[in-house]
Amino acid sequence: MSDDPHLGFIIAAYLAAAFVFLSLLLWVTLDYNKQKRLLNLLEASGARRRSEGDKV
Amino acid sequence: MNFTLANPARFLAFIRIAIPWLAVFGSIVTSIGFYLAFAFAPADYQQGETVRIMYIHVPSAWLSTACYGIMALSSIGTLVWRHPLADVSAKAIAPIGAAFTFLCLLTGSLWGKPMWGTWWVWDARLTSVLVLFLIYCGILALWNAYEDPARAGRSAAVMTLVGAINLPIVKFSVDWWNTLHQPASVFRMGGPTIDRSMLWPLLVVAIGITLLMVALHFAAMRNEILRRRVRTLGIIAANYEMKRGV
Repeated sequence: MSDDPHLGFIIAAYLAAAFVFLSLLLWVTLDYNKQKRLLNLLEASGARRRSEGDKV
Repeated sequence: MNFTLANPARFLAFIRIAIPWLAVFGSIVTSIGFYLAFAFAPADYQQGETVRIMYIHVPSAWLSTACYGIMALSSIGTLVWRHPLADVSAKAIAPIGAAFTFLCLLTGSLWGKPMWGTWWVWDARLTSVLVLFLIYCGILALWNAYEDPARAGRSAAVMTLVGAINLPIVKFSVDWWNTLHQPASVFRMGGPTIDRSMLWPLLVVAIGITLLMVALHFAAMRNEILRRRVRTLGIIAANYEMKRGV
């Protein structure tokens, strides 16, 4: 396969796939960390939903 | 039918267990699929080694429409039952579907240049997939245009269901019009026309990537549930501060 004249196209396609997957993975991970941090900050300040009892 | 998971708290408990399993199992199956695709599947008698692009292009194409299908079903859940998890699901799958559609267009272009002699042609299949990508972009823009997630969810659901008319056009474009893109060779009346030595690796990769897509969807849903909790608590905290100030 290494002597295929279109090897560059094959490599580019798989690199693009890896980039898209890693971007999605990074997006969900960073977003999760951000939401968790914000939620912890709010809960630490005493904010509670009515269903959870005390309200602020 | 079991509706116990249709509660955000129970759903969060369920996906806390499901996400790692789906991610690990999906990675293993995808790796096996790529191993089969590169070590056992033969080169094509006409396309040579370039046919290897198929093992990433075709699953991306399937998932681009599958994600839209999930989004359309979730939109029905939003408009008919107004279930909070339905629009969480619809919002979470939109960027994933857009990413797979982008990957489908990009890998198709990288396959088209050496085989057709062109990066792009305005034939019915390519154009309808580009329209699918633009619809995804429009839905993502709509989600970000509203402050209130419930209002955004209803508007995005209507747009999603209107845009769903493009799905049969994507699928049957190669039959209805004379296209440079080849006709269906796997999901077609009369069975697949692709040789088994290529079909099995393709199906294994497709199953693996589908499992990874479900893991990403669940992870994005979890994030959206947390985002809505943050929004609710932020409003409660702001109201309390306002009352205290008065």
